[in-house]
Order: sequence, then C-alpha cells, then structure tokens
Amino acid sequence: MSDQKKMIDQVTPVVETKDSSTTGDSGLKRRDLLRNAGIGGVAAGLGAATYLQGFDRGRMRALAQDDGPVKVGFIEDESGNLAVYGLQKLHAAQLAVKEINEGKTLKGDANIGAGMVGVLGKVAKNPPVISKEGTALDVVNDGGPQDSADLVFDEDDDILIDSGEQGVLGREVELVSADGQSNNAVWQQLARRMIQQDQVDVLVAGFASAEREAIRPIVDQFKQLYFYTNQYEGGVADANTFCTGPVCEQQVIPTVQYMVQNFGPNCYTIAADYNFGQLTAAWTRAFIPLVGGNIIGEEFIPLSVSEFSQVIARIQQAKPDWVMTLLVGQNHHNYYPQAAAAGLKFPMASTVNMAQGYEHKRFPPPSLANMHNAIQYQMEVPTGRNRAFVKRWMEMFPDDQYIGEMAQNTYFTIHLYAKAARLAHTTDQETVRKCLELGWGLEAPEGSVFLEPGTHHCAHPIRLAYCDEQHNVSFLRDWPMIQAWWLQRLGVNLVRNPEYKQYVPDEDPYFSFV
Amino acid sequence: MDELGVIASVLYQFGTNAAFLLLCALGLIVILGMMNIINLAHGELMMMGAYTATIVYQRGAPFWLSVICAFVVVGIVGAILERLVVRRFYGRELGALVVTWGISLILAQGTLLLLGPFMQAIPIPGGNFAIGQYSFSDYWIGMIVLCTLLIVALWWLYNRTEIGLQARATMQNATMARALGVNTDRIYMLTFSLGAGLAGMSGALLAPTTSIQPFMGQQFVAPAFITVVVGGAANVIAGALSSSLLLSLVKTPVGFLVGAFLGTVALLLAALVIIRLIPDGISAPIQRWLDRDVRAR
Repeated sequence: MSDQKKMIDQVTPVVETKDSSTTGDSGLKRRDLLRNAGIGGVAAGLGAATYLQGFDRGRMRALAQDDGPVKVGFIEDESGNLAVYGLQKLHAAQLAVKEINEGKTLKGDANIGAGMVGVLGKVAKNPPVISKEGTALDVVNDGGPQDSADLVFDEDDDILIDSGEQGVLGREVELVSADGQSNNAVWQQLARRMIQQDQVDVLVAGFASAEREAIRPIVDQFKQLYFYTNQYEGGVADANTFCTGPVCEQQVIPTVQYMVQNFGPNCYTIAADYNFGQLTAAWTRAFIPLVGGNIIGEEFIPLSVSEFSQVIARIQQAKPDWVMTLLVGQNHHNYYPQAAAAGLKFPMASTVNMAQGYEHKRFPPPSLANMHNAIQYQMEVPTGRNRAFVKRWMEMFPDDQYIGEMAQNTYFTIHLYAKAARLAHTTDQETVRKCLELGWGLEAPEGSVFLEPGTHHCAHPIRLAYCDEQHNVSFLRDWPMIQAWWLQRLGVNLVRNPEYKQYVPDEDPYFSFV
Repeated sequence: MDELGVIASVLYQFGTNAAFLLLCALGLIVILGMMNIINLAHGELMMMGAYTATIVYQRGAPFWLSVICAFVVVGIVGAILERLVVRRFYGRELGALVVTWGISLILAQGTLLLLGPFMQAIPIPGGNFAIGQYSFSDYWIGMIVLCTLLIVALWWLYNRTEIGLQARATMQNATMARALGVNTDRIYMLTFSLGAGLAGMSGALLAPTTSIQPFMGQQFVAPAFITVVVGGAANVIAGALSSSLLLSLVKTPVGFLVGAFLGTVALLLAALVIIRLIPDGISAPIQRWLDRDVRAR
C-alpha cells in the first residue's frame, strides 16, 4: 500500500509538470536543471520526474507532500554567544506549533488594515509596576487610585481562539529546528539543508543581522518563503522575506524623543560593532537634532569585548545627560554590572537591552536601573491577553525565566503563517506569499500587529518600558501603532516591484537633512 | 582635582587592563611554560571555575571562600584530566592541541546539557568611590592587588620551595631530572593541576563581572593566548607579568583617547610587532639576562 502511495506521489508531479511546461514556464536555465536533478534524484529515483521538477517546484512540492506534515523550518542559536535569545525563540516556535496542532489560532484576518481594536482600558495616576521576581507578573504598585484623567492601559481578553481544524489544511505542523551555534557559516549550511533536503514549506530564522544577511542569498536563490522575526536595523526589501520584528523608526525615534525631553540633549552612544549597532546609531544620530539633542560621544564595541573599564571611563569623561546602549550578546551584557560597580548613574536608553536579553533579571540590581526602551513587546506588558499568553507559555516551559521581544515575534509569526496558508488553501510558497501580501491584521500578545503588504514589514504598538532601582518594570508611555515607514518613504513596493536588497541610511537624504 | 581624577582614572584603567590579561593568561602560561602543552580547554577551565564559585556562592558561602573552592575543584579536575588524557600526549604537541580542544567542547556542551544556558550572576562585591568626575570600583582595585600577590606567591613557589626547584629542573631537562631522582610524572601532574586551578580561580574572580553561561570561556581565550605568546614560555612568571603590563601600556592610552575598538587594534598590533622582533616572547631575553647573571657569579 505504501508502495502504491509512493507511485502516486511520483506520478502526480509528472502530470502536473507537463501541464506547466505546455503553459510555457520559461524561467528554466540549464544550471537549474542540473541542480534540481541532483537534488531530486535521490528523493524520487526517477530521471524524468526530477528533470521536470525544475518547473513550478513549489506547487509540485505541495501536491507531492499533501499527506505529510507542513514543515516549518526553524534556525536559531541554541548555543554560543547568542543562545540567550535563541532558546526563547525556539520555545516560542514550539508553543505556536503545539497550539496550531491543537486547533488554536490567534484572532485576526487578512485585509483589515492598520489599527487597533477599540481600547478596553483602565486608567490610573501612574502605570502599574511589574515585579522582577518570577514569571507570575505580580503587580508591585498598581499606580494609585483609578481616575478618569490619567494613563490608559489595556486589560483585554485572551486572543487565542479555535481555528476549526487541527494543524493546517488537515495536516499536522512539524517544526524542523536546528542550532545555528551563533556561527554564520553554520547558518548557511543549515539554510541550504532545510531548503534543499528537508524541503520546508516556510523558513523562520535569524537573530543577528549578519546571520540574516548570510542566509538571505540562499533564500532568494531558491525563492524560499522566509520570515525574519527579529527586531533589527531596518531596510530589508526582499520579495521572499517578511520582517515581523520592529525596526529603527519604530523604536529609536520614540526612545530618543522621550530621553531628550526628560533628561536633556546630550547623548553618548555605545553600540555593538556590526551592521545592527552601526545603523541603529546612525538613526540615533540622524534623528536626535530634530528634537533638539546632540550626540556628544559615540563608540562601537566589537562583539568579543567583555571588559568595559575603559568605555566607562570615557563616558564619565564626556558627562552625557543619558547613555544610549545598543549592546548585543552575552559578552556585551557585562557592561551593566561593571558600570554599576564603577558607580555610573547616567539614565540609559536602548532599543534592544532588557526587552531581549532580560538583563534586569539576570544581573543583580541596580545594574539596569534607570533603563528606558521603547519596546514592542517584553514579558511584563500589562495586558490581559499578555498575562494569558505568559501563563500558557509557563505551563509548557515551567523552567523558563523570560519571554523576550523576539520570542513573542516568533510566536505570532508562526500563527500568522498558519492563518495565511489556511486562507490560501495550500502550502505552495508562492501562493502563501501572495496571500500574505493581502495585508494582515493579527492580534498578538503585544497588541494589534499589521503586516504591511508593500514593504513586508509590520506596524506595531510601542510602549516605553522603564526599569527602576529594584529592577521592576513599568510602562511610561504608549504609542498604539507605529508604522515601519522608512521603506515606504523610499518607495519600496514589493508587490509591484520585487527587490532583493537591504537599503542603508546612506541611500536616503533624511540622514543628511540636518 | 580634575587632573588628579584623570591620572587616577588612567592608572586604574592600566591596572584593570593588565589584571584582566594576567588573570586570563596565568593558568595557560603555567601549563605551556612547564609542559609545552597548548591547552585549548583553558577557557572552559575558567568557565568551570566561574560555575563552581557561583554555585558555592549561591549556597550562602562568602565570595572569598567560593573563589578558593573554584581553585581546588578545578585543580582536581585538572589532575584527573592529566591522569586520564593529557599524559598520553606528552611530546606530541599537535596531538595535545587537538585533544584539549576536544575536552573544551565536551566541557562546554556538557555544562549546557547539565546546567542549562544560564546561571544568576554573582553581584560584584564592594562599592565604589570617586575622585573628581571619575568613579572607581573597589572590586577591580582589589583584583589589581590580588594579581600582585598571586605573582609573588608563584615566584615563591617556583624559587623558594623544593617542589618549585624540581619543577624548574624538569622544565629545563626532564631526562636529567629523572636521572637525579625527580619524579617528573608527579611534577607534570601537579603542574597541570596548578595551571587548571589558576584558570579556575581566575574564572571565579572574573565571574561577578560577567554572565555565567557555558560558553563564557571563549571570551577569555583570545586575550589569554595573545598574552602568553607575547610573554613566551622561557620564564613563566616574568613572561606573564611583563607581557600583561606591556600590552596594557599600549592598550590603555589608545583605548582611553580614541575608543575601545582601536584600543584592541593597538593591542593586537603591539603583539604582532613584539612577536616579529622577539619570536620567543619577552621572557626569553629576560631569562637569558638572568642566566648570564648566574654564570658570571
């Protein structure tokens, strides 16, 4: 019986491909032919079928595997310098896949457009302060008596609802995951393996921008549907890639604005010395004059550096009003306890720290005291839907200490993929991509997210997170929805003009405006 | 007052840079100098020291006790490794290189499997004080003092004790030392154990300034090897001390005036120049000078 099934699997593609060859798929090159013959030869063991497999591979793959699981390819760093983030993201993917297979989905639909559900808000004099202890999100201070004229924060219902089926299109979802080991060369090998050998239906991968840029050429070579779930420096305009994390214009600008207004104009930036740190610092430098501030010092620190006494001395010498810390990885996190031990007390801002590496829970207070970060998500977000999400997560992974910004992105991204595939009635990558380009409004634990079709980036709700002396967290300001507008400003529209590049600030006069 | 602050700050930076390099390198140079074994598991031995200290500290022990525990525990681990594995590779430098690398992988991944990706860090002991606009951490001042004491203790061990004499004899000419009744096998084991213990202690001392995780050792390996190569293996103590002081002398002003990145570049350039001019490391001419002194007498 299983032999018979194999036969059908082999025969169906042949028929299918004949159709597509007569309809004239002309994009086939000799090299592609040879390559595909090489790949498919093992799997099918039939010369003709593999030769023809060069046509419309996605559709064939979907048909050939109709009975098998839907494969979600997943690469993150489970070991090495970046494991602090990778393990959270892995657990997020496991939770999302489990929920999808149990017949659950997140609220949200195609084509709704950017915007929030009507605010179900509570108001208080001050925002509630969430304890740093444990994962129960205890409220240390509820912000005083509630008053109609004060700050609004959400307490809405859970967003997880029934999807009407187990898995996707009647098929189980399988997570094919691998450890990138914080090593770009390993990332490339794994991306090739997932795309060519495992033939994943979707690839969800990438922490550091260097890792993403290492695998993006491979993604484009094979037209692989790819989600990059990280917070990053922005600018990726790639028809095969969807970036579901927030970018600089959504985080740097609110953070810098708040810091200049509240602490003064003079900023000292210390940033990780690679594309993320360099470009985020460039955003800070470009934006700060617009709100009357200026950069009085800027320093880029190699990822291998873990001893900061000289950096600390230079900051003390410069006497800034506040410090922008864009530090990445476990080596860099040592800055916080070292700066605290050296008595550095400047207010700090960031777009990455605390929300991702939970330095406020890993280091003893007051290492992170007075840290500000305009985040789109971190575990303490004080809403009902988030409490429910954290509770579900901790039931599945009781030993986990934190759910960071990008873990949550990974979680809603996999749910988003499942919804899009369900609407497309297929896992054919080209069709799912077109379906995603309808534009999607999704209710994520962070709030309402809108996947903007033209740029493949998401509009996010942004909150200004603040870490106090005891390392408890509260949210001081709330921007209900901020667009990822920079690529729109550059005229990127991937639906009409597919591109495969990353824009950098040098290409935009905005960065030399002042 | 402000001039005083700047001078104090530069001296402090010089001291912390040198202390950091010395702590990274000490265990490695002891093993390399005495046994001619390049121990690629050095970073992981430091990691084990940090883990031991953290676990002991979290059980309520004072910090100094957890550092001593780290020294003892990792020293014992070193002795076991030497007995089981490393002794089979004496005289085969490349074999030893590969086998210690294998040990480092096993230790790091084993820690990840057994203890998970993180451990709550130890808070940095001590407070801070200020001179002018600059403030200083008590802990790093303590580390600078401790490094000085460590060097003195090592010098005493090698030059004023029976075992030190035997160790130096074994290092100079193992066959002759054996002929004269020195148990070189035991000396090798003790040396490897001492090197491992020093690495463990350094890891414990650096633990409060860093995050405790299985791959933390890697951050110390590059500075350790640079310091050791520049210092050379002809004289362990003189090599480690002169190399860490010299490298810090180059790194500190550049790092303070221009930035951490170019400070590191300057350190690497200095190492390059020194290795080109004195391939055997700084300790080689120092040792020659010491020997001439002895011959003249």
